[in-house]
Amino acid sequence: MTVPSHIIWLASFPKSGNTWFRIFLANLTKGDAEPADINNLDERGGIASGRHEFEAATMLDSGLLSHDDIDDLRPRVYATIAAEASEDRWIKVHDAYTTLQDGEPLLGRNVARAAIYLVRDPRDVAISLAHHNSMAVDGAIKFMNAADGAFCGGSKGLAPQLRQKLTGWSGHVTSWLDQTDVPVHLMRYEDLQAAPAEFFAGALKIAGRSAAPDDIERAVGHADFSELQRQESEKGFAERMSRTAMFFRSGRSGGWRESLTAAQIAAIEQCHGAVMARLGYRAASG
Amino acid sequence: MFTYLISGLHVSSELELPGAIHEGCPAAAADVSIRRGPVPTALDGATARGPTWEMAGEVFLLRVPRLARFRITGGRDIAVEIEPGISDHDVAGFVLGTAFGILLHQRGALVLHGAAVAKDGRAIAICGASGAGKSTLAAALCRGGCALVADDICAVGLDASRRPMVLPDGRQLKLWKESIDRLDLAELRGEAVRRSFEKYYIDPSAARAEPSPLSAIYVLREARAPLKAGIESLALPDAVRMLDYEAYRPGLRAKIGQKAQLLALAATTLGHAKMFLLIRPRGFEKLQDTVDELQVHWDSLER
Repeated sequence: MTVPSHIIWLASFPKSGNTWFRIFLANLTKGDAEPADINNLDERGGIASGRHEFEAATMLDSGLLSHDDIDDLRPRVYATIAAEASEDRWIKVHDAYTTLQDGEPLLGRNVARAAIYLVRDPRDVAISLAHHNSMAVDGAIKFMNAADGAFCGGSKGLAPQLRQKLTGWSGHVTSWLDQTDVPVHLMRYEDLQAAPAEFFAGALKIAGRSAAPDDIERAVGHADFSELQRQESEKGFAERMSRTAMFFRSGRSGGWRESLTAAQIAAIEQCHGAVMARLGYRAASG
Repeated sequence: MFTYLISGLHVSSELELPGAIHEGCPAAAADVSIRRGPVPTALDGATARGPTWEMAGEVFLLRVPRLARFRITGGRDIAVEIEPGISDHDVAGFVLGTAFGILLHQRGALVLHGAAVAKDGRAIAICGASGAGKSTLAAALCRGGCALVADDICAVGLDASRRPMVLPDGRQLKLWKESIDRLDLAELRGEAVRRSFEKYYIDPSAARAEPSPLSAIYVLREARAPLKAGIESLALPDAVRMLDYEAYRPGLRAKIGQKAQLLALAATTLGHAKMFLLIRPRGFEKLQDTVDELQVHWDSLER
């Protein structure tokens, strides 16, 4: 591609701050004194695994295609989106960075200019994922530990989104951080929480987007967890999956210390210890 | 040669099309002919293209990798070149889906992405995105005594007195195993839509092969905040916009369709058939509530 693509992947394992980042971006773009409506975000990016976008671009009935057939077409769908975009599109992605049978990357440099990779302590992810999917924490841990784990990968019905290979929590992290195709900027959820303005600004810079410090501060305020919780309790949130748990449930870091059993902590650390250490998440179990 | 009646058109086809309505019309008198290839891999002078398709004038090329290529011309002709080792059966769904949808757009028809069912000779259309639950709701309505009119492509034409009519797209529904199990329809299950896929043709107890006057159009959505379950009437400007959005592949319609003609057709349709947002609660276990609410609402329209 001669002209740099307008696509920037906002990549993460689920429940790692992706929605928070998108709400920050929407508020930055909107630039209003009032916070953006979380159910009507003015962000055109969407999610890379959207079924509707795939069908609109290919004209095909995705229900007549296998998951692998769909993956083979996805790079071409993104190329079309990139070619038609006149401004940057930050597109949410939960897929791991993978390659197709012929070696072509699913989410490669030929369609995207850069990627922001958000990561969160897997022990907190496990709790959040359990609430989000209305499943037991042990089930969430099992899913995070499964190298063949995927979202929407069933074959007996039509899931709302296209299949997304997650390849387990460690597999997901290393797939994005170790690939050398798309320039990737790593952000830890915990750092973003401690100093949101500083780290959001860092991500914008990587993407070549400039913003005044005041505008960033205001967008950070509008995307504050208390504001998101306020809006969700008043009107609900369209992206909430669980019928019982709030989407913006706690957002805090380190909650695993009180919520997880010693066995659950050990199960996560045994499977993901190496990648956790690499990211600065210290093991609690020996 | 097979002959069918699809979306009001007489079709002669070299491919067998499961679920389509058979009719005895002589092949020579057909409005549309479906025949085997060859089909090129690209078009000369393409003016628009996407990841799987190209368009040049009245010719549309559709490529499904490792399966088949389709050339759809002038609203009259579909040529199909099937890749080696692929069965006609696996290709039929694409012929009756995207290829026929494109052909109908080329003919300037009003084509909705939706299912339609009829009761006492009058039909309603249920539109919505893939996965919204159109076919499942249609199947539940058929189980409750309605007749199937259309499953996925709901073409609307005007009769002699300019009333909108739903033109049937076939006699069978296509349902995923999950829906078949939940609706307890295993006895009606036919062949798989594609080999090794868990999506099957379902024979509803009744289907209408005749055009049916359209009473109302329901746009199916899931109750996600801020939407709350229920049926809401759409004001005319919203209905016009929504009708455009609920077209079968709206992007195509914008590229192929003749705008003024379609707008006039939409206005006439909405003059006879009101449009509603049908917001269903999440979860299969609430399906019967949706069916009951829809039945009551539909009955109130007919009075």
